[in-house]
Amino acid sequence: MNTMLEIKELCVDFNDKNILRGVNLTIQAGEVHAIMGPNGSGKSTLVNLLAGRAGYQVTAGQVLFQGEDLLPMQPEERAKAGIFLGFQYPVEIPGISNALFMKTALNAQRRHQHLAEMEAMDFRSHTRKMAKSLGLEDGLLLRPVNVGFSGGEKKRNELFQMMILQPCLAILDEIDSGLDIDALVTVASGINALRTPQRSILMVTHYQRLLNDVVPDRVHVMMDGRIVLTGSKDLAMELEEKGYGWLAGAGQ
Amino acid sequence: MNTEPNPYETEWIARQNSLPGEAIPWMRRLRQEAMERYRASGFPTTRLEDWKYTSLKPILQKGFHFPEPSCIGLDPSDLDALLIDRRDMPRLVFVNGTLSRPLSNWQQLPQGVEIASLATRLAEYPEQVEPCLRARPTTPDHGFAELNRALWRDGAFVCFRQETRMPIPVQLLFLSLPSSVPVITQPHTVILVEAGAEGQIIESYATLGDCDHFTNGLTTIFLQHGARLNHLLVQNESHAAYHLATMRVQQESASRFVSQAFSFGGRLTRQDIHLQLGGEEAECDLDGLFVATGRQHTDFHTWIRHDASHTTSRQHYKGILDGHGRGVFNGAVLVPQSVRETQSAQVNNNLLLTNTAEIDTKPQLEIFSNAVQCTHGATVGNLDPVALFYLRSRGVDQEEARRLLIKAFAGEILDRIQPQSVRAWLENRLAF
Ligand SMILES: Nc1ncnc2c1ncn2[C@@H]1O[C@H](COP(=O)(O)OP(=O)(O)OP(=O)(O)O)[C@@H](O)[C@H]1O
Ligand SMILES: [Mg+2]
Repeated sequence: MNTMLEIKELCVDFNDKNILRGVNLTIQAGEVHAIMGPNGSGKSTLVNLLAGRAGYQVTAGQVLFQGEDLLPMQPEERAKAGIFLGFQYPVEIPGISNALFMKTALNAQRRHQHLAEMEAMDFRSHTRKMAKSLGLEDGLLLRPVNVGFSGGEKKRNELFQMMILQPCLAILDEIDSGLDIDALVTVASGINALRTPQRSILMVTHYQRLLNDVVPDRVHVMMDGRIVLTGSKDLAMELEEKGYGWLAGAGQ
Repeated sequence: MNTEPNPYETEWIARQNSLPGEAIPWMRRLRQEAMERYRASGFPTTRLEDWKYTSLKPILQKGFHFPEPSCIGLDPSDLDALLIDRRDMPRLVFVNGTLSRPLSNWQQLPQGVEIASLATRLAEYPEQVEPCLRARPTTPDHGFAELNRALWRDGAFVCFRQETRMPIPVQLLFLSLPSSVPVITQPHTVILVEAGAEGQIIESYATLGDCDHFTNGLTTIFLQHGARLNHLLVQNESHAAYHLATMRVQQESASRFVSQAFSFGGRLTRQDIHLQLGGEEAECDLDGLFVATGRQHTDFHTWIRHDASHTTSRQHYKGILDGHGRGVFNGAVLVPQSVRETQSAQVNNNLLLTNTAEIDTKPQLEIFSNAVQCTHGATVGNLDPVALFYLRSRGVDQEEARRLLIKAFAGEILDRIQPQSVRAWLENRLAF
């Protein structure tokens, strides 16, 4: 089995505040992991850092992606190497259509893979089915990226981007929040469709509901910048019942 | 007291008897009067409030020469990028201030549309151009605009006769070529849209090569009752050029003026748009984009006078400042006390791409009437770092991501350009 991601004793500061305090996490190729944990515990910090967001100071530890040191890489290099982050708060970009955005991204990736670039027409036919499977209306492709999208549309748009880019490590930060019950089913089957023995998925979620549909191999609990407990999918059920209080002080 | 002679005084002495219209008494008098006003005010200095940020000293120190009229051999293919490639579009091309007949095209004009060199028109039909040339602006011109009025040698004359509808734009290109000494050209253009007529104009200024030269342009536009004009202004001269331009628009009742102005070129440029809404129900819609990169300095001043009730003005200007680029925007709106029920909105958004770029932006509202609705807003910002990260996180390179975001910022203005062939042409001429 190949190791997709290996995080060792990672400590990260943001604005001189310790946010991550020694995170350890290993994900093998083909595995699906979930991270749960209270608000402000550092889940988004961890996944943003993996995608290369600026502004964090790594004070200790290491991150290996497919055996390579990830931290020196630029965000676009990470994307081309196969990392994808579905944002907790997808960004609105007035003036750039969703279609242009994704065509540009796909072609950047295709250039990297020495493939011919895709023309607008080919891109549209290539992506039409994906959009449809996610219940995204055609009109949303022509609108500026995320501008005026409903909360659920934004989340589905993240998943749409992931389908287009076919990453090897998909990281989804609260892809399930703000979705109605039907949309949750659609999104879950979208994620399941991407499950392959080569691809790994890391999901941050607050709800056990998503994990019913996308069954994880491992569930981690993050508190105060550490992973304090790791278990099977049943851990999510337990957390749903008991909350996080009983874990206070764990992992110290 | 200023003891130095005003620049170009010697040119006046040498040339006043050979300028277009020298045999027409009223024309001689107009030039004479303009020269006197120019002598009285000279070139503006930074001591004046309107000129605080823009010094014209480099122009005065440099000394530009009047070009000698010549038949410069130009290959039509030199113009490929400068003109919209549509054979059906009428056009006038001026090279170093002189009309080039081979490069121009005014065949097959629809009935009621007249296009000519202003000098020719003045010689052939003085009574047609006299009211336009005589019209006194409601506010004083800057000294250099008076210099243009005194010494202009040519420019375009376009007239849309009553109730004429011209479905395609008329292109006016003012092209400067390298020459042995840096030259000054002073195009003087008159556009007359008669009652109920409708027209479109593309007025552009460009340089072949990197030469430095000085354009001191004046365009006067008249919209009679119910007239409509779409005007696209493109200034894309070399980064060594000096460009001062004055546009004067007078609107009568129920007329509608749409202006889109793009200023990309020039080392030091100043564009003034003076517009008077002189009749009820007149409206104007102005937008534009100015870009200053490297060491460019670009100054954009608009002056809108609501001199009649029930008039509307809208303005949306954007600036992109990169490198050591410097931008100035000043939008003045004036509503006298007697005027009622007017609406005016002004927005200026600026994008600073480096911390060495600068913008000074200021609305200047002089509203003496209570019965008006006026809004204004100015913003200055950088590229959104979160948007930049979002794009990069999808594999788009930093450079391309920046370009996309800059294009998106400009897009709000560019996307309004119709028809598509004109928009595509302009987008191609933009460097980003
Ligand atoms: N941009 C920021 N500015 C200030 N503080 C921040 C910022 N980003 C994160 N933090 C702080 O870092 C800590 C961890 O935040 P993070 O977003 O990683 O939490 P989270 O586990 O994702 O929470 P949630 O479940 O609410 O999404 C919080 O205390 C938060 O306030
Ligand atoms: Mg979060």
